[in-house]
This record gives sequence, C-alpha cells and structure tokens, in this order.
Amino acid sequence: MSTAQTQTASKRAALKINTAATAPVSGPPINKHSKLRLRNTLLGWSFILPNFIGFAVLTMVPIIALFYVSFTDWNAFGAANWIGTRNFERLMRDTSFHTALFNTFYYTVIHVPLTFVIALALALALNQKIKGVAFFRTVAFFPYITSIVAIAVVWNMLFSPEYGPIDQILRFFGWANPPGWTVDANWAMPAVIIVGTWREMGYYMILFLAGLQTVPQELYEAARMDGAGAWARFWNVTMPCLRPTTFFVTVMLTIGSFKVFDLIVVMTDGGPGLSTSVLSQMIYKKGFVENQFGYASAIAVVLFFICLAITVIQYLGNKKASL
Amino acid sequence: MKPLTKAVALAAAGALVFTGCASSDNSSAPAGQEAADAPITVSAWNLSTTPEFPVLAEAYKAKTGTEVKFIDYDAAEYETLMVADMSANKAPDVITIKQAKFLQPWATGGQLADISDIASQLPSDLRGKDHFVVDGKSYAVPYRMDSWVLYYNKDMFKKAGVAEPDGTWTWDDYEKAAKDLSAKLGDTKGAYLHTWQSAVQAFASAQTPGASMLTGDFSYTKPYYERALRMQDDKSQVSYGTATTNKLTYQAQFGKQQAAMMLMGTWCAGTIVDQQKSGDADTFEWGMAPVPQATKADTAAPITFGSPTGMGLNPALVGTDREAKVKDFLKFLGSEDAAKALATVAKVASVSNDSVIEALFAYDGMPSDDLSKAALSKQKIEPEVPIDKNASTISGILADAHSAIMSESEDVDKALAEASERVKNEVA
Repeated sequence: MSTAQTQTASKRAALKINTAATAPVSGPPINKHSKLRLRNTLLGWSFILPNFIGFAVLTMVPIIALFYVSFTDWNAFGAANWIGTRNFERLMRDTSFHTALFNTFYYTVIHVPLTFVIALALALALNQKIKGVAFFRTVAFFPYITSIVAIAVVWNMLFSPEYGPIDQILRFFGWANPPGWTVDANWAMPAVIIVGTWREMGYYMILFLAGLQTVPQELYEAARMDGAGAWARFWNVTMPCLRPTTFFVTVMLTIGSFKVFDLIVVMTDGGPGLSTSVLSQMIYKKGFVENQFGYASAIAVVLFFICLAITVIQYLGNKKASL
Repeated sequence: MKPLTKAVALAAAGALVFTGCASSDNSSAPAGQEAADAPITVSAWNLSTTPEFPVLAEAYKAKTGTEVKFIDYDAAEYETLMVADMSANKAPDVITIKQAKFLQPWATGGQLADISDIASQLPSDLRGKDHFVVDGKSYAVPYRMDSWVLYYNKDMFKKAGVAEPDGTWTWDDYEKAAKDLSAKLGDTKGAYLHTWQSAVQAFASAQTPGASMLTGDFSYTKPYYERALRMQDDKSQVSYGTATTNKLTYQAQFGKQQAAMMLMGTWCAGTIVDQQKSGDADTFEWGMAPVPQATKADTAAPITFGSPTGMGLNPALVGTDREAKVKDFLKFLGSEDAAKALATVAKVASVSNDSVIEALFAYDGMPSDDLSKAALSKQKIEPEVPIDKNASTISGILADAHSAIMSESEDVDKALAEASERVKNEVA
C-alpha cells in the first residue's frame, strides 16, 4: 500500500470513529439521517432553483418548442400548420442557406485557431513577472467589455476604404489598391474576423492565465534540470497541464463562432451581398424580418445539431488525448 | 423564520423575478376589454420626438372630446414588438402601420380588421388609400403620405452658376448638374444618394412601365444602378462604401451642405426646417423639385414613389361597444382636420388639397416657391413596395443585391441575375 493510500484509509477510519462518537443517543438514527438528507437536498435545490427555472422557462421550453415549430409553417400569427419536412427540404435547395452555412464555417475555421493562438500567446506573455503586467492585462481585456455597437462603428470607420486610417497606412507603404474591407465582398469576412478576434482575445487570455496558474512550478524546474529548453517546456509541460483549459476554450470558442450574430449585424448586416451572411443572422432575418418562424426554426435546428456534433467530437477528442 | 424556509422563500421570490412572473403593473387592458368610455389606445413610437402623434390626439379631442392615448414602442424594433404584442393579444385598439410592407402579413394573419366600410366613406382622392388594400379589402386609413422629392441647395447652385431644377429634369440633367456642381464647389459633392435600396430600386420600379419586383426580373433597375455607380465613380456623389462605413446621415449631408442635391422623402422637409432653427443645420436657402424622370416627355406628369403611414383596427374590437368609437377616430385620420393638424408640425398628410398644402407651406421656414409646392402635390406616387405576401422576402433579396452592386463587389448584371435566381429558389 502506498503512503497516499495509507493516509486515506486512516482518514476514513478517523471519520467513522468521529461519526460514531457524535451519534445521537436517543431516537431512531435512520430518521434523523433521512431528515438531514432531505434538508440538504432542499437546501441544494433552493440554490439551483432560480437558475433552473430561468433555464427551463427561457431556454429549455423554447428549444423544445423550436423543434416542433421547425415542422410547421408558423408565421407568428394564427395556427402553426404541420408541414412535415418541407422546411428542411427547402433548406436543401436554398442557395442563401448554403452561403450562410459556408460563411459560418469560414468564420469559425479562421476565427477559432486565430483567437486561440493570440489569446494563449498573450496569456504566456502576461504571465511573466514584468513591469506593468496588470495594465497590459486590463488593456487586452478591455475590448471584451466594450459595447459591440461602439466597436462596430469605430472599426467600420477605421476600415473605411477612402478615408479610413488602415487603408491610408497601407497606401503609404505602397499598396496602391488596398482592400475595401467591409464594403468588399472578398474582404468583408476577414474584416469581421479581425474585429471578432480582437474583441474576444482578452476574455480567452484571462481563461488561459487562470489555467497557467495551476501548472505546478516543480514540473518546470524538473524539466529545466533535464535540460529542456523553453519550447520543449511549453510543449511537454505547459500544454499538457493546460488541457482542461484548452478544451474549455476550444469548445466555447467554437460554439461562439457558430453562433456569431451581433458583430455581423452591426458591422455588415450580412453584406455586401451575402458575403458575411451567417446562420444566426439568417435565422433572425427569416424569423423577425420576414415572419417565417417555421423556416427560421428549421435553420436553428440545423445550427443546434452542428454545435452539438462539433462539441461531441471535441469531447471525444479530448477524452482520447487524456488517456 | 428557519434558515431553510427563508432560503426557499428567497429562492422562489428570486425565481419569480428572474422569470418575469412577478406581478407587474399592466396599465392597459387588452383591446376589446376596456370600458366603453376609456381612451382610444394607439401604437406609436418615439413619442418625445414624433410630434405628429400628440397633434393628432389634440385635434381629435378638440373635435369630439374623446381622448386618444398613444402607447410608446421603440422605433427601431417597432414591427418586432408589435408582432409580439399582437401574437399575445396585447395590441392596442389602433395599430399604426409604420412601414406599408407589413400591412399584408398582418392583415392576412388576422391581426387587422377589415375596415372597408370606413374606406368607402373616405375621400376618393385620399392618397395612399390603395396601398392598404389586400384582396380587395381595406385594412388601414393613411394619415401621412410621404413621397420622394429632389431637395436642392439654392445658395450652392447660385455659387456654382449651375441652373436650378425647373421641374423638367431628366436623370441625365440631374447627373450632369451633379457633375458640374462637384467640379465647381471643391470638396462639396453635387449630390448625395443615401444607402437605402429604395433610393435606386424604387425609382426604377415606379418609372419603368410594367416593372415590378414581384416578377423576379430585375433588369429594369440596371440603368438606374449604372447611373448611380457612374456618379460615385466620377465623385459627383459620395460612394456607398464611405456612406456605410462612416454611417453618414442624410440630414447632415444636406443640412451641413456636404451635398448640393439630395433625393429623399418629404418627411425630411420639416426636419431641415427644424434643424436650421435649432442650429443643427447650416442656414441656407433651399427648395424642393419633382424627382428627375426618364425622358423629357415624362416630366409633364412626374412619377415618384412613396409610402403611406396609416392606422388599422385591432380585430378584437369588432362587435364590441368600442368599435364605432375607434372607427370614428380612424375616419378622422383621413379628414382635412387631421391633415391641417399634421401641417402644424410640417408633416405631409394623405389629404392633399390646396388648403392643406397652403397650411403645410405656412410652417415657418418652409420654402415658398411654386416648384416646391408642385413637388409635394403634383407627382404621381407609386408604392415603394407592392402589397404582396412575397414582397418582404423579395425585398430582402434585393437589399442583398443592392449592397453587392453599390459596393462594386459584383457587377450589375451578375448581381441582378443572382437575385432573380434566389427568387426562384427562395420564394414559395
């Protein structure tokens, strides 16, 4: 038996003795135990009840309703007539849905790794004992707490093709025809990705910083003694120890990217043309602008299953890597 | 109170607040359930900055003694909020139609009552009346009728030595004037074209015989787009990209003399006057003219586009004691009294006779020339968006085409062909 196991066994024995010593002298102990259990259960429920009721009423019920509505032609008024899989059949031939689906993946595939790498790099840099580290951490986090509308207005001005400072700088450095950014179908999505990454990197940096605090310093010391350089320590100590954080960050980033909505709406509203149209924005348009709630629900169901599938894949991947 | 009981009570109270189940003060009962003598409730927006609502209420009270109470909704989300209230049977007695394109889904969705009996009693020449007809039935009474006119800065025309609009302008004349003005005014642009799709597409559909967005063939917009692109390329108007990325406002573009001409709706006239009084706009002499036409021959009977603002009846009131009372208010909206009340706040009414036009131009600061009066009263007004179940979807497709074309991301033919293809795929 190892030392640790021996310690655990002795703790259990002590606990048993303690419980026996404090056991009531009178009354059936079984009733007292179940009363205590009921009390603890009720207390626990009282803590989670507000959140659970909110979740049930505002999230779970609408999600269940969403599945039903996706098989109807509901337009917000009157009866929701059951139309079977017609909404889903329509999705198959709807070219704007195909474009929105492609754009959603486009945004996700670029935005997730980019934000991940920048946030991790920032966290590593700001995990050092350097002067003014608190200031730099605050600066990096600032975009995340800034109003999305303000961000969109300012970045749109920065990206302005004629008078925006970004294109003026690019012209200064010899780029004769710099990108049109948000008013150019080819550059609008990269522009949105740049702003999305800039906005979210601070939040994920904080998560990585929290993860980095949990990496035991002894492991770094041992690695150093074994002659590991900075790169080797990063790959063989930091990254394995950060696995729970990287899993959480990847899942959150991926789901957030698939659901991107506010940034697109305020920056480009899906344009020019359909160049930045994404699934969430299409759901909003079909539902609240065109009153096609049945069809919008069908798109939402597709988005739900995409997010679910990606999360399951990531979970399985993480589980395999942990073994 | 025991700690456990206290915790459960607190949690339950918190849950009720969180889920919005706590009792709230719902001051207005659902339509149809109020007392017969209760004020007439009407949906509205931005009450503090939209004077047309209080003046209509005052005028109606002065005439009948009946009080009208407006329910304030957020202007930007007005239709979404109305849909939510109508679905929950919480809509007021009278439902204001802010954008005519929403009339069709609301009417066919059973959220507006058939008021053909009132419509038949309204003046036959009431502007915008036909824009609220679905399948031969009337669903709203127009009280405002805004149409598009050409605003121009008379001082700038004089300074540049360019001939002012005279009511016989074609689009070629307009384009040439914009170019000349830009060349002679330095940084100031000859014209400003706002970013809305209607600023191009609605002129095309109104002025092209037989054109309609409902056909799915949008080739009729091509000459209008080509002109708009030419004008932004030769810098006689600010580009679409600059206007969108810098969120340019049409009020500032014209009011701050950034552009000498601007195509815009008649609602802007009162805004210019008020902003000149408040100092938000520069002080300069300006006027209105009929919008340019395709040919000189067309200028004899100019065609523009426009959209009425109206009010409809909540169907929950049909058969109740209040129905006649609310219908009387709706009838009032199509009267000269209502039009004159609107003229006091420089709003263009659906009633457009000489005495209403005189009352409107009596508003302090409005231009007084005949051409401005003709622009408001003599143009034939085609609907901005047709009343049809597919209009909203097609309008959305055309909005995408508009941004693709005006940003010069796609050429006109390709973008219009794609829009036509999407109509085939997406419109049920």
